[in-house]
Amino acid sequence: MNAPLAPAVAACAGPAIAFDGVRLDLGGKCIIDGLSLTIAPGEFACVVGPSGCGKTTLLRLVTGLLSPTLGQVRRFGAPVDGPSRDVAIVFQDYGRALLPWRTASGNVALALEAMNTPRGERVERVAGLLDKVGLTGHGDKYPAQLSGGMQQRVQIARCLAQGPRVLLMDEPFGALDALTRQALQDEIAKLISESGATALFVTHDLDEAIYLGDRVFALQGNPGRLAEVIDVDLQRPRDQLRTREHPEFLRLRHVLFDHVQKTH
Amino acid sequence: MSNWPLRAGSVLVTLSILLLWQAVTASGLVAPVFLPSPSSTFANLWRGLIRGDLLGLTLSTMERMIYGWMLASLGGILLGALIGLSPRARYWLTPTLELLRPLPASTLLPVGIALFGLHPSMLLGIIAFGAVWPVLLPTIHGFSAIDPRLREVARNLGIGPFSFAIKFGLPNALPDVIAGMRLSLTACLIITVVGEMITAQQGLGATIMMAARSFRSTDLYAGIILLGVVGAINNALLGIIERALTPWRTAHA
Ligand SMILES: Nc1ncnc2c1ncn2[C@@H]1O[C@H](COP(=O)(O)OP(=O)(O)O)[C@@H](O)[C@H]1O
Ligand SMILES: [Mg+2]
Repeated sequence: MNAPLAPAVAACAGPAIAFDGVRLDLGGKCIIDGLSLTIAPGEFACVVGPSGCGKTTLLRLVTGLLSPTLGQVRRFGAPVDGPSRDVAIVFQDYGRALLPWRTASGNVALALEAMNTPRGERVERVAGLLDKVGLTGHGDKYPAQLSGGMQQRVQIARCLAQGPRVLLMDEPFGALDALTRQALQDEIAKLISESGATALFVTHDLDEAIYLGDRVFALQGNPGRLAEVIDVDLQRPRDQLRTREHPEFLRLRHVLFDHVQKTH
Repeated sequence: MSNWPLRAGSVLVTLSILLLWQAVTASGLVAPVFLPSPSSTFANLWRGLIRGDLLGLTLSTMERMIYGWMLASLGGILLGALIGLSPRARYWLTPTLELLRPLPASTLLPVGIALFGLHPSMLLGIIAFGAVWPVLLPTIHGFSAIDPRLREVARNLGIGPFSFAIKFGLPNALPDVIAGMRLSLTACLIITVVGEMITAQQGLGATIMMAARSFRSTDLYAGIILLGVVGAINNALLGIIERALTPWRTAHA
């Protein structure tokens, strides 16, 4: 199956995601203030920042689960007015984001059911998606029977099943061991570039942000706002050893670390 | 998994109790009119089943119990799902339910008799009322206590309220609901028997009552043993159903 995962994005010029002077108050407290940024279609954008600075909140603004108090959030030019299946989100806590009573296949099929994919197509689509995330042969297992890395793969497959134009990820690999994390980093980079989707990837790991991103947005907290944007000019596909030893990688790492030291 | 020592132990305990029973009756400590020997009780039980009247009585009691149980389960699951999914229904219905819940079903029997007479469906209604609580309360909890993360997943996928109830609420509630249905079946058996005793409708309850009043102690004990067996079979069957309906809970890596 070689169908593209995302519809062609060329139809719509302009940014995939745009924040325009966004302010958000929650419970009488200003959580995000004066945030403006744009992310181009097909771009892999990473967001870093101290915990509590508003990274998760930023993703919720993109999904439309939250609406800005002031300013505007737009997706492909249109103001966000609620969740859309074009936008998929991978949560960090895969253990809570999967339905424990459904097998890996059943969890992936949930997205297809939600989109009213004809029953006859589902089995094949699900199998193709599980192959894509390296879970061939594990479709009949329940989440409790899968390792953390495999559970996160199931969640990624469910998001890909939506055929999203935008893939949001909230510290998706934060709870995984180092080797699994590296493997998934490479897989997600490949999946995103194949699908042509726009990625917004939140992490607290600066190295991960540079390794994956085309650009890294550094936020600072109280209230959450943009502190720094760095362009990552590193060749793709990236490589766990060579990219991380590249002088430019080390330079960017330096810049970002210095910056985080200052704003912390 | 070798649990045969446990099984052997349980058989031993059961046999010891029967032996003790036999010893007490043989020693003449208790008059047979109050406590017949196990051998004469089982002989009587066997005769009753073969002759047919005891079997028929057991079946009519079980029929009543099962209809009451199905009514209680269906009502409990539907009402519980509604209350669990809709905060508004919860606000509106909780006070009434809290008032009704502590009422023992047996006190409602006289009310039911006064209002509807000795109609069989009146007794069914009372059985269902008394047995609905063990299903209703866990159902409410199962439908309302869905992980917020899963709610978010459903919202992001644009899953509608009906699909959400079926695909998220029901399976989330199912283990608790089945446990509740088990308790409910036991409650049904109790209320059915008490109801039969009070309303003298054909069944084991009335038979046991009549046997006790006329000092036919072997009939009395035969009836009680039958009730025990019915209860044990119920529980075993539901255990099997539970494992079949919630495979994810017994799946291991
Ligand atoms: N619903 C809410 N009501 C009030 N405050 C909230 C709410 N959600 C998040 N916050 C606050 O907003 C801030 C940013 O939260 P969050 O976006 O989760 O941070 P991060 O993901 O960067 O760790 C935190 O201080 C948090 O306490
Ligand atoms: Mg967060």
